[in-house]
Amino acid sequence: MDNLKLPWWLAGTAFALAATFLVRDAYIASVVNLIAIAALTAASLRFVMLMGELNFATAAFVGIGAYATGAAITILNWPFLAALLLGGVVACLVSIVFGYITLRTKGPYFLLIGFAFTEAVRILYSKSSALGGTSGMIGIFPPAALDAWMPTFIMAVSALLIFGLYVLERSDFGKILTAIRDNENVARTVGLDILLCKIACFAAASFAAGIAGSLHAFANNVISPGDFSFLVAAFALAYVKVGGEDNVVGPVVGSVLLVILGSYALGLGGQEHIFYGGAIVLAVLALPHGVTGLAKRGFAALSGRGR
Amino acid sequence: MQAADQPLLTTKGLTRRFGGLVAVSNLDFEIRPREILGLIGPNGAGKSTTFNLISGFYKPTAGELFVFGRNCTGKSPLAISRMGLVRTFQHGSLMRSMSVRDNILLGTIHGVGRGARRRERVAETAEMLGLTPYLADEAGTLPHGLQRLVSIGIAFAARPRLLCLDEPLTGLNQTEVANTLTVLQRIRDEFGCSVLLVEHNMKAVMSVCDRIVVLHHGQHLATGTPTEIRANGNVIDAYLGHRHGH
Amino acid sequence: MQTTIQLILTSLQIGAVYILFSLGLTLIFGVMRIVNFAHGHLFAVSALVVAYTVPWLASGGIPVLPAYLLSVLAGVSVAMALGFLMYIFGFRGFRRDMVGSFILSIGLVLLLDGILLKTFGGAVRPVPEILPGTVTILGAAVTVQRFALCVAAVVITGVLYLALTRTKLGKALRAVSIDHEAAMMQGIPYNRMALAGFMIASALAALAGALIAPVTIVSPVIGADYLIKGFIAVIVGGLGSVPGAILGGLFVAAIETFGAFYFDPSSASIGIFLLVIVVLLVRPKGLLGHG
Repeated sequence: MDNLKLPWWLAGTAFALAATFLVRDAYIASVVNLIAIAALTAASLRFVMLMGELNFATAAFVGIGAYATGAAITILNWPFLAALLLGGVVACLVSIVFGYITLRTKGPYFLLIGFAFTEAVRILYSKSSALGGTSGMIGIFPPAALDAWMPTFIMAVSALLIFGLYVLERSDFGKILTAIRDNENVARTVGLDILLCKIACFAAASFAAGIAGSLHAFANNVISPGDFSFLVAAFALAYVKVGGEDNVVGPVVGSVLLVILGSYALGLGGQEHIFYGGAIVLAVLALPHGVTGLAKRGFAALSGRGR
Repeated sequence: MQAADQPLLTTKGLTRRFGGLVAVSNLDFEIRPREILGLIGPNGAGKSTTFNLISGFYKPTAGELFVFGRNCTGKSPLAISRMGLVRTFQHGSLMRSMSVRDNILLGTIHGVGRGARRRERVAETAEMLGLTPYLADEAGTLPHGLQRLVSIGIAFAARPRLLCLDEPLTGLNQTEVANTLTVLQRIRDEFGCSVLLVEHNMKAVMSVCDRIVVLHHGQHLATGTPTEIRANGNVIDAYLGHRHGH
Repeated sequence: MQTTIQLILTSLQIGAVYILFSLGLTLIFGVMRIVNFAHGHLFAVSALVVAYTVPWLASGGIPVLPAYLLSVLAGVSVAMALGFLMYIFGFRGFRRDMVGSFILSIGLVLLLDGILLKTFGGAVRPVPEILPGTVTILGAAVTVQRFALCVAAVVITGVLYLALTRTKLGKALRAVSIDHEAAMMQGIPYNRMALAGFMIASALAALAGALIAPVTIVSPVIGADYLIKGFIAVIVGGLGSVPGAILGGLFVAAIETFGAFYFDPSSASIGIFLLVIVVLLVRPKGLLGHG
């Protein structure tokens, strides 16, 4: 648990929160919210990538979190924080059951079943009249007092959870996850319950995804099944790949870059899909370690020359 | 608790078929406390199958397996490893992208609760294997000989009562072989851990093993001390291929 | 009884297209160990080209059947050219890299989605009827077009099956898909096999698209639904297995058709998902999967 680079975390989070204080424009506030939620979703996707699996069910868990929060607020009239937490908890519980069945499979099977799950869950929302059917739920408002501070609040929750995932990654548990990706059989021979570790990893990531969904619901006030298609996971993958998957900062950098560029491109009348698709293809072909990988190499080259 | 001289592992009529092929047939052998047992035989004799059977990776078609006096027939690899029987694999029995330190650490996680104690054990294990200078290196970048030691390190860091090594000497030079054999002897003498050694290097097996089990065509051919095995006519024939099929 | 036969025939019609899809996916996975989500776009491109060229040729005075056959040729050529580009500039560098190739394919999906929508617009394109009339099979009526589609799909599947089991190329492809290292040691050129597998799969998707164009509503997003069903078919059957792809395709089509008739289409979709879960619980590598 040593060397968590706490000063860097505190500085980065303080900077991000300070930036949100300056936001007074509704459009910019929505972009800031989008960045924070995107970063959290991308961090969740990357956390499962630590054990070598691509988790496209991330999209489903973001949706489950959003719907759980939506139901807690509009149907059950739960208080704000309890509703927020419920999103994460429900996503986490569903992921444990789903993971218990599907994490016995690997690679393409796990990936594709996540895809199918996302679609199946979306059909369930559409069919449920309690959840608003195809038109979704409306009126998911945070407390009025918090309204002006939503970007700050969302950024703080997002930073806290990304830090939580980082602590897990740096712990011995995180090392088990890397070992599973590298050589599952060896990990199995020294008494480690691989399935249990995989489920734990999946559940932690899904909790974060669920909270990302809750934040999405509070930020937009409106949710519908169309918000939670596989594109949520595809975009998260773009943030991870463009930013770089080798470290926890990558997805954050990717989210900041792509969301800002994407909003700008959309403002120009560009096409979101072409933009994100092009970003992924370029990143995969030209930047295998993402922007942070490129920066790291550039920095190493510079300091090497300086010596 | 078992008696001090009770076998750590016993097989009774252990058999495994693959379709029509009988890979291991009616095998009886035992591993005793504080011994290095060699398991040898020509290619295709059933050594690897036996190895996979006792570590739970294959289920026997017939017969029984007792580990530390308990019937473990059909138990999962996880259950068997948690009892204190830890194995390595013939190829790439390590995490290539992780540091040597984290590789060895992995072996300690299940058995040792506290982080500080885990790190102590990693240091102790690395010291014994001579890996201390390489702790920070990425395991996949090390020379072959050191990678083999890391594999043993991961397994031994779990402090098993029975350590099963699948051809740990393959591709090592003479110095590395001698070094590894010394490590195995220290594991036996200082930690009281038995070692099952599946190996092709006959000279090494003869020099380090207390007893040797010889397999041939999936069947038990002989058991004895290195001296007895060396003098056994059946073993010599099996290896030289004379009187084949008698 | 009448209803059951009608439903079985419908299952076969849908299943025929799923099979062409899943055969391509399973072939690519077997040879290259990659998951290509952009496969559906080859199908969509071919269908779109057909939907555009048939009315255009017909308005030029060419009779509708030759016009259609020419369009099929054009559609398949364009889609295969796209497949070739995808391979050369993309997937060639990601052979046996499941995660990398999948991410690339997701990028391609988004990119092609946007490009197709921009080029062809979101509007659907009706294709004039090529083969008018209906045939009656065991008392159930089927349009001649859909019947022809089935026959064509069966013929293509049969030819592919024979090619994989009898020809030198087919045997080499199967050898690569079972153990590519051993196959390479036998002197089979892996690079060429990977390209061949990818192009055969592209051709299958393109043919499926060209065949489906006259009997369905063609839009740029037509590939997505078939792709998901095709993938579910190969998970159920086992990735890399040719008989598995056929079995899985028929399975998914049957559940979809019967579920939609006796319940409703969305229940059928959930039913398909539950089927996948059950199959994976019992056999994590699909019904006929091995690797």
